[in-house]
Amino acid sequence: MAEKNIIMTHLVAGYPDLEESRRAALAMVAGGASYLEVQFPFSDPIADGPLIQGACTDALNSGFSTDKGFDFLSSLTAETDVPVFLMTYANLLMAPGVEVFVGRAAKSGASGLIIPDLPYDYDEGLYKAGEMADIPVVPVVIPGIDEERLKAILAMKPPYIYTAVRKGITGARTTIEEETVRFLDRLSRSGAKVLAGFGIREKEQVDLLSRHVHGSVVGSALVEIIGRCAGENRDCSGDVKAFVESLLKP
Amino acid sequence: MAVYNDFFGPYGGRYVAELLRGPLDELEEAFKKAMEDETFLAELKRFGKEYIGRPTPLLYAEKASKAIGGADIYIKLEGLANTGAHKINNAAGQALLAKRMGKTRIIAETGAGQHGVATAAVCARLGLKCRVYMGSEDIKRQRPNVFLMEMFGAEVFPVESGSKTLKDAVNEALRDWAASSADTHYLIGSALGPSPYPDMVREFQSVIGREVKEEQEKRKLQVKAMVACVGGGSNAIGFFEPFIAADSPRLIGAEAGGTGPEAGCHAARMTGEGKTGVLQGYKSRFLFDGDGQVLHTHSISAGLDYPGIGPQLAHLGEIGRIEFTSVRDDEALEALRFFASREGIIFALESAHAGAAGLKIAAQYKPGEAVIINMSGRGDKDIFITAKALQRDKWFDFLREETENG
Repeated sequence: MAEKNIIMTHLVAGYPDLEESRRAALAMVAGGASYLEVQFPFSDPIADGPLIQGACTDALNSGFSTDKGFDFLSSLTAETDVPVFLMTYANLLMAPGVEVFVGRAAKSGASGLIIPDLPYDYDEGLYKAGEMADIPVVPVVIPGIDEERLKAILAMKPPYIYTAVRKGITGARTTIEEETVRFLDRLSRSGAKVLAGFGIREKEQVDLLSRHVHGSVVGSALVEIIGRCAGENRDCSGDVKAFVESLLKP
Repeated sequence: MAVYNDFFGPYGGRYVAELLRGPLDELEEAFKKAMEDETFLAELKRFGKEYIGRPTPLLYAEKASKAIGGADIYIKLEGLANTGAHKINNAAGQALLAKRMGKTRIIAETGAGQHGVATAAVCARLGLKCRVYMGSEDIKRQRPNVFLMEMFGAEVFPVESGSKTLKDAVNEALRDWAASSADTHYLIGSALGPSPYPDMVREFQSVIGREVKEEQEKRKLQVKAMVACVGGGSNAIGFFEPFIAADSPRLIGAEAGGTGPEAGCHAARMTGEGKTGVLQGYKSRFLFDGDGQVLHTHSISAGLDYPGIGPQLAHLGEIGRIEFTSVRDDEALEALRFFASREGIIFALESAHAGAAGLKIAAQYKPGEAVIINMSGRGDKDIFITAKALQRDKWFDFLREETENG
């Protein structure tokens, strides 16, 4: 669908610490990422696999707070031109109040909100708050989603849709099946910009997806790289940039 | 009340990522149908009678009552159910439902291990494959229950993420289920989680309350108050269920006061700093910090050591139908000793919280009036904790000898 591969790269804010995650984010952009997905760590991230949960635990242990997260987001959106999406879990919104949180996200320059455990029919006012603050809420769908639910989501005409390309949680590598491809095509026909993720870590996957969706989301693979560099106590920028480039080279 | 409610006031719901939505919708349908099917209900009843040992006795605790000099104290001996606690009522109900749905594999979470043991036992009996997720911290503290689960043929899967306790085991089981729901049922042990679990667990546990009500009518008891401990709340909601709609008796829930009111030292969601949040698929009252990050909890009883509470209990607490009180570790131990020496009954540490609260309540009434305490479990499982707390030196001598000569 797109002329060149478009990817959204994911990072956990504050992992391994805020300074290093800022370097990682900038390296992603330098490597050619078209969108950033910044995850605010939560103590109990149930849609994530052990790798990202571990990164969230580490980030919290090294002092991440919602205040620091929004500062991080503001400086990032000021420094780069790529749209930055904020991903997190419901309870981070519940604590200050959904409207307050969404307002802060908008003020920090975020281009969208991804909150997997606030689906449209149990949303605690998220979608309305997003409308008021003029920040799109990105519904998260999966192949095999109930037909009526999918229709309800498409009827909201979301500018972006985030879809998994398989069932299950983030992490392991995904084989993209024929049926999934048909589902992605259908989502794309709705006019929404479709971002497809969960288990995307190789150029062939990105190439294949680029024919069917707006962009691919790369998460766990990058968290792994950032973690490896942290373990070896060195700047991750070079490795992150090289990996992103490798996914995008013609 | 209706079998399926979804919400209880503002609490409950199905706050899950889309990948869990399908399995929950399927479960809701199957559950509602089963509860209208006489064959299913008869099967459940027979299972309860022949395998669980229902009905469990309602004991008049005469010496305890006289010692307090207040109300007549009755104890529902739910700990006499097979595998030692009320947990098996729900495990049996859900496993039979899973079989009916054509599932061949069961996964469960467990904290102290009681729910894991009950689930593993029922799976052995029904020929279902079983994996129990358990925090690696809990595995260390609860070796005897791990042994039992393995005896029943279950696989006990250590959870190394987060705080390595019950809430992390729930997270891990939910992840498994997100990928495995085609052949797997997730058997949640408490009256919490995304709908329909809180409704389903209440329905399967309400057999406790129905039996109490029957005995109350038979013996013409003037029941003034009923007391249960509340972790997630499955024994409490089942014990209270037939009495909720009326104005009386008083319904009292005892939460873990731990070692004191400081953050991280207790699990008092209703009497402490609990706030409205969304966690593990449902909206209720939880212990979390200003940013929404879930706090660590503490209780001497592993079964009460959970940062959330079932949504229906949270709602009933808020509207005042259930009164909540908190009981500290030392008070629970004192109640354990009190009932052991006077009635020849060893409460589980969880249930001993209800015992302690029940003694206080009984003192407010007079003979001829009744207070009923739910002993949700028996205390055999706690021997490594209670013996250490109550007879430290002798117990350590014994353990030393066992390791040296064993």
